[in-house]
Amino acid sequence: MRKLIVEAKGLTKKFADQVVVKDVHLEVFQGECFGILGPNGAGKSTLMRMMYGSATTNEGELYVVGLNAKTNIREIKARIGVLPQDEALDREFTVRENLHLYGSYHGVDRDVAVHRTEDLLKLMRLEDLGDQFVNVLSSAMKRRLGMARAMINQPELLLLDEPTAGLDPQARFWVWDFLENVKTEMGTVILGTHFMEEAEKICDRIAIMDRGQVLAVGEPQALIRQHIGVQVVEFQISKHELQYYLARLNAQQFHYQVIGDSQINVHLESSETAQKVISIVQSQKATIRQPTLSDVFLRLAGHHLRDEPL
Amino acid sequence: MKLEATRLPTFANGVLQVWKRSYLQFKRFWLMNFFWIVLEPLLLLLAIGYGLGSFISDMKGVAYVDFFFPALLCMTSMFVSFFESTYGNFAKMTYQRTYSTMILTSLEPKQIIVGEILWATCKGTFSAISVALIASFFGHLNSFLYIPAFLVIFLSSFVFATMGLLIMSMVKSFDGIIYPTSGLIVPMSLFCGTYFPLEQLPSVIKYFTYLLPLTHSVALVRGMTLTGINWWQFSLHLLFLIGLSSVLLRWTVDRITKKLIL
Repeated sequence: MRKLIVEAKGLTKKFADQVVVKDVHLEVFQGECFGILGPNGAGKSTLMRMMYGSATTNEGELYVVGLNAKTNIREIKARIGVLPQDEALDREFTVRENLHLYGSYHGVDRDVAVHRTEDLLKLMRLEDLGDQFVNVLSSAMKRRLGMARAMINQPELLLLDEPTAGLDPQARFWVWDFLENVKTEMGTVILGTHFMEEAEKICDRIAIMDRGQVLAVGEPQALIRQHIGVQVVEFQISKHELQYYLARLNAQQFHYQVIGDSQINVHLESSETAQKVISIVQSQKATIRQPTLSDVFLRLAGHHLRDEPL
Repeated sequence: MKLEATRLPTFANGVLQVWKRSYLQFKRFWLMNFFWIVLEPLLLLLAIGYGLGSFISDMKGVAYVDFFFPALLCMTSMFVSFFESTYGNFAKMTYQRTYSTMILTSLEPKQIIVGEILWATCKGTFSAISVALIASFFGHLNSFLYIPAFLVIFLSSFVFATMGLLIMSMVKSFDGIIYPTSGLIVPMSLFCGTYFPLEQLPSVIKYFTYLLPLTHSVALVRGMTLTGINWWQFSLHLLFLIGLSSVLLRWTVDRITKKLIL
């Protein structure tokens, strides 16, 4: 039995009348990279804030690294590392000083903090920038410094809120690569992201969130197989043809989603049925592709689409 | 299985680390600080105390400059600690998000608030001590009673630093700090027995000034170092400052904690 690192039971958070996190149940185990996936405003950040003590909980129970978040939040914070959405580095100080200071807030001994700082600067490829003020750093470097800062106390759990938002593809690949290594070396990572590809690529398990609720939890590939199947046939149609095609698909009992007014995604449980769909649609604009987490999300959250027969 | 207890830094250590951050920042810009926290009050001492004061032959038995000097120390520490905790902290609380990031460590909001207040308090006290040391070349700082007087200045700075942080948590922008400055801090520096005795004020206003902390700081410091003060007056002034600071501190901790932890 693997050790539980985060356990949430019926977690609820309200701001005034608005419920932003609603009855969330989650279990995160030691050594896994757990993704919290959802669009902006889904409640991911608030859920993560509750885990690192920057938001209180209204209802439910939350245990992080085995401690109750309501009563032992300082102990929890001493044992976790956090990269918030806006890394908010201390711009009055240099790269090196930022890490020293953060170590001092954690109560890490000065010598230890200095030593770890040099290691982290190397790890994050910031060793040449140690004496620069943080405002000269690029956004990718700032993000790396933010991650170094989150690791100064050698945390057993790393909470990263949108670690690749606003980064160019190369920087993003570097972060992904880095997280793969961190995960195996260090322990547990919880990653909040709205980026489906990111979650699919680096997370062992994910929770799909929308409107404050967790819609599904599981391994990315398992979720795709369970909710979508093995292939997706995507085709464009004109608006007035929609009903015609839907009727035909319904007759054959296919699962599908309508995107906007002019696209239909048909979900296939076996790859042999692809030709059958193609013959129904007889469209030049049909493509067969692998299903992704985006399909799962669209199916579960149902944004701007009608996924039931009309 | 042996459970390893998490070693948490003490409350005081956390406060000290927050204090140290501000100190390091101050050290970097010490020259700029020197101009407004030390040079400015010295100019005031020369212009008002010696310049204008030379036309005032007798101030209840003492020279005007001697009457003015204890008040100048209180005023200086008030301005410095108040401005430090308002202007110095507004950016950290808002767009620089320094506090939001600090609480991601084992620090809690209360430690940040106390650390910042103590820093502003020390800076205010430091400026008063610097001014006094330089003024000692002109023959001021002539009594050992200045040593306890600086403790009173420390307490008084604590009140203004806390007031500053509370106001900082209420304003929406830097411009918002102008209202309490012009409406409260500057009037205090003019009417709380600083440039002239309280007796000169119409009695309604005179009693009103007893609600203002600077009146009590000036009365204490001037009483201790110049005119003498009896024990019950001393205790009442001191109690006012201690009471006010504890009320303000509680209010400030409450407000800022709610802002940092949603």
